[in-house]
Amino acid sequence: MKKLSIVAMLGVLAVLATAATGASSATNALQAPTGSAGLANALVTCGTTRTIGIAYPATGPAASIGQQQFRWAQFFQTRWNKAHPKDKVKFVQGDTKLPDTAAALAVAHQFASNSSILGLVGPAGSQEVQDTVAVFKSAGLAVVSGSATRVLLTRSVGGDQRETPAGYFFRTVPNDGQQGDRVASYIASKLKKKRVYIIDDQESYSQGLADQVESNLKAKSGYTVGRDHVAQTVSDFSSVITRIPSNTQIVYIPWQLPPKAQLFYTQLRAAGKTATVFGSDGTFAPGTFTGAGSYVSAFPVDFNSKEIKAYRAAHGGQDEAFGLPTYSAAIVNAMAIMKACKNGTASRAEVRTNVKNIKVPKAASLLGFPVQFLSKNKGKQQGPGDMGGTADFAIFKIGAGGKYTRVG
Amino acid sequence: MHLPLLNIIDTVRQLGWGGAFELLRNGIVLGSVYALIALGYTMVYGILKLLNFAHGDIYMVGAFLGYGVLSILGGPLAPTIAMVPLILLMFLGGMLGSGVLGVVVERFAYRPLRNAPRIAPLISALGVSFFLANSALLLTHGERFNYAMYQLGGDPNTGLPGPLNQPAFSVAGRPVTVVQVLVVSTSIALMIALTLLVSRTRLGKAMRATSYDREAASMMGIDTDRVIASTFFIGSVLAGAAGVMFGLYIGETYYLMGFLAGLKAFTAAVVGGIGSIPGAMVGGLLIGVTEAYAAGYVGGQWSDVAVFGILILFMLLRPSGLFGAKTIQKV
Repeated sequence: MKKLSIVAMLGVLAVLATAATGASSATNALQAPTGSAGLANALVTCGTTRTIGIAYPATGPAASIGQQQFRWAQFFQTRWNKAHPKDKVKFVQGDTKLPDTAAALAVAHQFASNSSILGLVGPAGSQEVQDTVAVFKSAGLAVVSGSATRVLLTRSVGGDQRETPAGYFFRTVPNDGQQGDRVASYIASKLKKKRVYIIDDQESYSQGLADQVESNLKAKSGYTVGRDHVAQTVSDFSSVITRIPSNTQIVYIPWQLPPKAQLFYTQLRAAGKTATVFGSDGTFAPGTFTGAGSYVSAFPVDFNSKEIKAYRAAHGGQDEAFGLPTYSAAIVNAMAIMKACKNGTASRAEVRTNVKNIKVPKAASLLGFPVQFLSKNKGKQQGPGDMGGTADFAIFKIGAGGKYTRVG
Repeated sequence: MHLPLLNIIDTVRQLGWGGAFELLRNGIVLGSVYALIALGYTMVYGILKLLNFAHGDIYMVGAFLGYGVLSILGGPLAPTIAMVPLILLMFLGGMLGSGVLGVVVERFAYRPLRNAPRIAPLISALGVSFFLANSALLLTHGERFNYAMYQLGGDPNTGLPGPLNQPAFSVAGRPVTVVQVLVVSTSIALMIALTLLVSRTRLGKAMRATSYDREAASMMGIDTDRVIASTFFIGSVLAGAAGVMFGLYIGETYYLMGFLAGLKAFTAAVVGGIGSIPGAMVGGLLIGVTEAYAAGYVGGQWSDVAVFGILILFMLLRPSGLFGAKTIQKV
């Protein structure tokens, strides 16, 4: 009898434990998934704090820009949570170790199988998006990147097919096509320089932009356009600089790391070459890339906005503007999740649908233009997932003391 | 159709003798840095038969320490002391700090494994390498720091370079800057000092004896633990100097900088004949010059391919390296 009562008690405890586990999991996922594919439509109880995955290079050669992106995301989180106490967000971090795409893929699988994650900020690099988007798609997550700018991610060009499924990839930066056109046009029509040397850093982002500017300039008559490559790990540019013809007027460096642009600038000058350095949005970093007389293409940020001033004050006087679109990508996710959570539960599919239709006003995006996504092709360069409206690049000139002034 | 070889010939023709000299200059400067790091690899291998894969990270720490001294003393835009003592203090900080770190690494990561199978200290070396790199990552948040020597003593408003980046002299119309002269001459001075130390001092004799037969040296009254610790100290001091020199010349310091530089210096040590001090020097210069010519004549994307291609060639054709077979001088 005694034995029986012990068995009965154990049985009761087991039932209670099972019930408790069930109740606990019900707070996370109302519909139990069988794998990451099952999570696409699984309903999650929203509660007051929702989870967003952020995939960024926390370590590796691009850690400096990845950390900027994360700091901007944290800045967003603090502000958003203060303004929306019932719709807070928190981030689950994934280190993609750019350019190690295997690490990005591991993060994708980790996020895909984490049922609490409803939205996604990142990955940062175009090559990472290429390799991970299928995993995110199978899990129903929308990729919202603040820095993946390769044209083919959103648009088929020539014989090359679009590289992401429509409705699963969005970006809060204008793409390389827009940037390449803008840069080539500025060099040709404003600077009126015809001897240009282009150096890419062998990454997908850099090569895409370099190709774009090169083909644009070569299509015009009378242009001499040289092309070179350096590995992103290189710091000593002296031998590449030797290759640059001494009569070159513009050296275009669409690189991902602003400190490298500054190194290149000083080494170019130390070698006695006077060509103007022209960087891309990857090198846009007041306080880091400060080469006087250089140009940089970037989004038309208003450095005097109170949000950017607040960020600067909290981060040692640095704007870290490369991370700004990540701030916008976080807003897109938070708004989409908040909308999906109106009835207390949300699924990744609902969030993804909301992302497509989101509109972030110009003042809130901090990018100098509103964020809203195209649902069909626009012009020759943009496709669904790209930003519509007035989103485009501006040109900044770096003056004495490293001051950035918008010139185009 | 433009064949790659024709492209190279075109580039050689375009760059001319001036360009050839410029590439040689670039290679010698970079090679001087590799040679100093390679000396540390070769000394430790000579005495312990250990490939100290943490050595590249000690070089990284040296670069950070030099940057730290520069920052404490006001930075390149507003230094609080004159340039010469500033640079001397940067070297002192980088070299001493790295030397002490090398001794600590030897004491806690390698000495307890002295009699273990050879794979054990090798794995320990890899562990120390990751530990140092990731510690630096945590401390610096992955930021890249710029020595900005171009600006030191220069005018930030005009963007004109400071004295370190002014030409010291010219060859074939191509300038050799003060900082390039400084890097090469410092490197030569340190190599001569090391050669004299190994060949003319009691410590050097003890190092050679320990390298030849540790057990016998111990029985002859040599404190081999102290000798090994001294070897780590000296090798790490040289790596620290290389780190500061790289910072002065190139400018950049960040937590992963030791990885590739360490691999190239290891390649230099193997090419020169690991265990041989003159071999490390010649190997360093050879690797630096190869890298520069590959980048200059073939393209920047080929420089690492050329460097590690040389390593493969030597492993296949002359695994003992240039000076390894003769073993003229071993520590």
